[in-house]
Formats: sequence, structure tokens, C-alpha cells
Amino acid sequence: MERKRSGRRYYNKRKKTWTQQCKDYLRQFIAFLFSNIGIICLVVGYTIAGAFMFIFIESAPGNSQGIIDLVTANRTGTVARLWDLTCCSTYYEDDWRTEVQMHLRSFQSHVIEAVRNFSYEGASKEMERWTFSGSFLYSLSVITTIGYGNVTPRTLLGKLATILYAIVGMPLFLLYLSNIGDILAKSFKWIYAKCCLCRSCKKRRKRMLALQRKEQWKMDMRDLKLNTGVLTEGEESDDEGTTDGSSSLSFNDTQEVTVPISLCLTIMVGYISGGAVLFSKWEDWEFFDGSYFCFISLSTIGFGDFVPGSKITGTANGSGSIQVSFILCSMYLMLGMALIAMCFNLMQQDVVMKIRTCTDILRRITRCKN
Amino acid sequence: MVPVGDKSSTGSSSAPYAGGVDHNPKERLKECCRKLVAFMCTQVGVGGLVVGYAVVGAFCFIQIEGQANDTQQNAVIALRQNCSVGVWNATSKYNVFHRNNWTVQVGDALLHFEKKLALIVKKGYDGKTTQETWSFSAALMFSLSIFTMNGYGNVVPKTPLGKAATVVYAVFGIPLYVLYFRNMGKVLAQTFRWLYTWVYQCSMEDKVGGGDLYNQQLPQKSRVIVPSTACLWVLVAYVATGTVTFATLEDWSYMDSTFFCVTSLCKIGIENFVPVGSVKDTAGVDHSMKLIIKFVYLLLGMGIIAMCFDLMREDVQVRVRNLKMDIGLCFEDIRLRAVAVYRRRNSFD
Repeated sequence: MERKRSGRRYYNKRKKTWTQQCKDYLRQFIAFLFSNIGIICLVVGYTIAGAFMFIFIESAPGNSQGIIDLVTANRTGTVARLWDLTCCSTYYEDDWRTEVQMHLRSFQSHVIEAVRNFSYEGASKEMERWTFSGSFLYSLSVITTIGYGNVTPRTLLGKLATILYAIVGMPLFLLYLSNIGDILAKSFKWIYAKCCLCRSCKKRRKRMLALQRKEQWKMDMRDLKLNTGVLTEGEESDDEGTTDGSSSLSFNDTQEVTVPISLCLTIMVGYISGGAVLFSKWEDWEFFDGSYFCFISLSTIGFGDFVPGSKITGTANGSGSIQVSFILCSMYLMLGMALIAMCFNLMQQDVVMKIRTCTDILRRITRCKN
Repeated sequence: MVPVGDKSSTGSSSAPYAGGVDHNPKERLKECCRKLVAFMCTQVGVGGLVVGYAVVGAFCFIQIEGQANDTQQNAVIALRQNCSVGVWNATSKYNVFHRNNWTVQVGDALLHFEKKLALIVKKGYDGKTTQETWSFSAALMFSLSIFTMNGYGNVVPKTPLGKAATVVYAVFGIPLYVLYFRNMGKVLAQTFRWLYTWVYQCSMEDKVGGGDLYNQQLPQKSRVIVPSTACLWVLVAYVATGTVTFATLEDWSYMDSTFFCVTSLCKIGIENFVPVGSVKDTAGVDHSMKLIIKFVYLLLGMGIIAMCFDLMREDVQVRVRNLKMDIGLCFEDIRLRAVAVYRRRNSFD
């Protein structure tokens, strides 16, 4: 009688848990969509909005025309000075040459300043640094704190906008990093536990058995305690406890595995060299330069001597391949940052675990001596 | 350099705790000494390590990059020679009698020169020789910008060896810097919390008037949590100080100066203003002095940011906990009321 009732109840409960499980999974999936996909969309949307904002602020028409006029005026001025020099003042070739060199040098420094500080692109070229892709990369580099610095705001409003944009954007990106890094770390750990630890199945099974035995013992103890207390409720809670325990046990087992540091390092190196190959294909860099660029970007140093958009910002002829490479590049950066965050997460866990075992061993040794 | 200033305050803050534990003066002195030594080893040690690492890095980069022969410089010199030859050709062709023709041809030559030059500049030429570029202060700033992950990019390595050295330098430097950041943040946060508590208590004493409050002081000390607005004010004040300092030092406008401070402290590091004005028109000593001021400002600023992070996180945690508790109480209240209503209705039925 007792057994039958319990069996029916068990059946009922199982059915209930099954539907509940479905609901739970659905709920989790929706939460996942809202939290992670939502945050990715938010970051991308924020960057796109920033790109449009910077285009709007920085590419005011008078802004670029002024510097072109300035350089042209300087050129004609230099020509006039050279004419004066040639027709009127000097009559010896050597003197003339040194004087011309001097004038040319001043002209050169002026051009250098124009190119470096005011993003002048050489005469008769469209001065479009603030194309959509360039602007997108600028806002991405601001919120990721890479800060390439090849494209800089020139107007007062642009600078102010950059400051505000960074203040709002950086916490958002940090949130993205921690969230995505967490998820990547969890899934990577799961994969690692499934794939790499199967070889040592025997060991694992032993450990599992030991763990289960421990759990069982705990259950028994609790059972004992509960049986002395309230009877029926105790039974019920116990039942729940076992199902919960077994499910969380398997989950915990995959999550308790620590991924060794060497594997994390390998992943990082692999990602960087993969990026180097890709960039050497897209941008015609050498392999070494490509890996240098990847390292500098992913460590958020970002010198800006190599910039992914040198083709993009330089010749904006609007061909399809450039757009594709630009999109892939920004995806590479965003994924890479998350991957680095993941690796650091895993490495930290590994190090903490090792330190804990070390201290355990030390404590045991000292206790033995005592 | 930086942690020395904090030593006295932390020492004095730790003194009462030590006194609470041991009453024996000898033990107390020993305890103090031990703490001081530990403090010197950890905080000052890490700070010194960071500064030393930066200096060593600066010398290494000068050694590596200073010897590199300058292909871009040579290319520019050749271009200039070409251009002057062009001008000479125009002169010999048209003499001085056809002014218009001469002007057109010379203008073309200059235009050609300008285009080529713009291409070279876009590849990273900045009109300085390697010796000028890799002065000690610039190299120091460069190594700082590597391991703080700022990356200004006004000075960049050009040889493959220099690039490899940069990568290796970053790999070892960044963890060291993060250690410094954490440590510095903790120490500054402690100091700031202590200061804030002290000020808070003073103001409280003024309001209430001592006496009864004296007994509550000790538990209060641990309970006072610095609100995040105070942290924000500290940050704003620091940025404002930097703005004024750099505006007067470098003759920037206030907007530029603020931009520099914020982007540097946020580790974005857009180059923009670092090289331009200052290198040209100032003598060596003054220039290096400015750079050292910047160096100290940046290192200290990173510490202050870490401190604010520390304090704000604590504040936010406490607030979230309070909010949770409030919400829990609210729900409990609602439940109780609902139960009461239900019961009343039942009793009416």
C-alpha cells in the first residue's frame, strides 16, 4: 500500500517535473536571448549609433575644405617665394640649391603637420576619413578602449561627444565582456570535460563513485535526522533532494573541471596567429605585422600604426569586398576580446584551484609534523 | 614615489587596531614595524617595480630602435632632391622670362612632391630622425603607454626586432601593471575610507555633541560606507586638476586638455595632442619635466580610478542588498495583507 502510493506519487512528480523542465528550459532560453543576444545587439547598435553621430558631427562641410585651402595657399606661397629667389636674389647655383632646400623643408613640415594632425590625404583626393566604416571603427575603438588614434575628432563638439560616448559605452562593453566571457568559459569547460577527459574515464568514474557515495552518506544522515522529525514532509523533501542532487552533480562535475593554463595560452596564440593569417590576406600585410597588429589590438594597446581600415579609410571606392572585410574585422575584434576574457576567467580558476591544493598540502604537512 | 605619501595615513589608521589587540608596548612596536616592512615590500615595492620596469623598458627601446637606419627619412630626402631638380629644370627651361610657365611647372613639381610625401606620412613618417624620436622621455612615455594599455601611437617601433620586443614587454608588463593597479586601488581605498570615516565622525560629533556617541564609534567605523557620489567627485576633481595643469603646461585649450585626461585615464589613448606642439618648441629639460609630470599623473590617476572602482562596487553591493531586503519586506507586507483580507472575508462568510 505504502509502496504503491509512493510509486504513483513518484510518477506524478516525474510528469510534473518533465513539464516543469520544459518550462524551465524555455525560460532559460528566453533569459539567455534577452541577456546575451540582447547585450550583443545593444553593443552593436550603440556602435552604429555612435558611428552615425560622429559622421554627423565631424563631417561638417567647412571643416575639411579649410585645411585643403590652407595647404593650397601654402603651396602657391612657396612657389611665389621660389620665383622671387630665382629671378631676383641669388645668382650662384649652390646658393640657390641650399635656399630651395630650405624652402622645401618648411613646405614639407607643413604638409606633414597637415597630414598627421588634420588628416589631410594629399591633394586632389577626397578627404573622407569619416566614412561609415571608418567612423564605426572609431566608435568601436573608443568603447573597447583600444583607441587607434588614426582618426581623431577635430571639432570641439566631437571631442565632447567622444568623452560622453566613452563614459556610457565602456561600462556597456565591460558588461558585454563579462557576460560573453562567462558563457564562453562555461561552454568551453563543458566541451573540454566531454572531449578531453573521456580518456581518463576510469579515473573519473572512480571519482564520481566516491562523490556519489559521499552524497549518499549525507542523504542518509539527513534522512535519519528528518525521520526523527516530521515524517511525511521529510520524505518529500528527501525525494526532491535526490533528484536535485543527481542533476546538479553531473552539472557540477563538468563545471568543476579546471582547464589547464597551457590550453588557454594555446587558444590565445592560435587566435592571434589565425587573425594574422586573415589580416595578411585582407590587408596585404606580412604575417609578422599581422600578428603584431592582432596582439596590439587584443591587448587594447592600439598604437594605430597598423589600422585595419587602411584600405577602408584610404580608398573608399565602395566595393563589396572592403565592406565585408571591415565587418569581419570588427567581428574579429569583438569576438577576440570576449575570448581573451574567457581565457583569463579560466586561467584564474585554474590558478586559484592550484593555490588551494598547495595550501591544503602545506597544511597537511605541517599538521603531520606537529 | 606615490605610495610614500599614503604610508603615514595607513600607518596611523592601523595603529588603533594594533593597540586593541596587544597592550604590551614592545609587542605593539614590533607589530607596527612588521606592518611597515610588509607595507614597504608590497606597496612601495610594487610601485618601484613598475617605475623600474618602465625605465628599463625605455633604455631597451632606445637601444633597439635608436640604431635603426631610417629608410623613410632617406626616401623623403630623395624626394626633396627630386623636387629641387625639378625646380632647377624648370628654371633652365623657361629662364626667368616666362613667369607663368615657370610657375605652373614648379607648382606641378611641388604637387607631386606633396602627394608622395603624404603617402609616406600616412605610413608613419613624422618628420623626425630616429635620434629625435627616441629621446629618453619619449621612450619612457612609450613603455608606459604599452603596459598601461594606453597606446598613444605617437612613437611606434619600426624594426621587426622592436615590434617583437614590444610584444614581449607587454606580455610581462601588463600583469605587473594589473598587480600595481589592484594594490594601489586597495591602499587608496583604505586611506580614503579612513579619511571619509574621520570626516563623517567629526561632522556627526558636531551635530550631536559627543558623549553618548563615543561608545558607538568603534562599530560605526566599520559600517560607514563611502557613497559613490563621493568617488565621482574625487574623479571629477582629479580630471579638473589634470585639465588645469596640462592647459597651463602645454598651452592647450581646456577642451583639448580635458579630452586628453579623460581618454588617457580611460585607457583609450587617442594620440592627438601628445607629440605635436611640445616637441617642436621646447628645450630638452623642460620637455622631459613635462613628460615626467604626465607619467606621474597617469600612474596616480590609474590608482585613483582603481580606488573608485573598489569603493563604488562596495557601495553598489550594499545598495543592492538593501533594495533586495526592501523588496522582500514589501512582498511580505503584501502577502500578510492579502492573508488578512482573505481571512476577514472568510469570517464574513
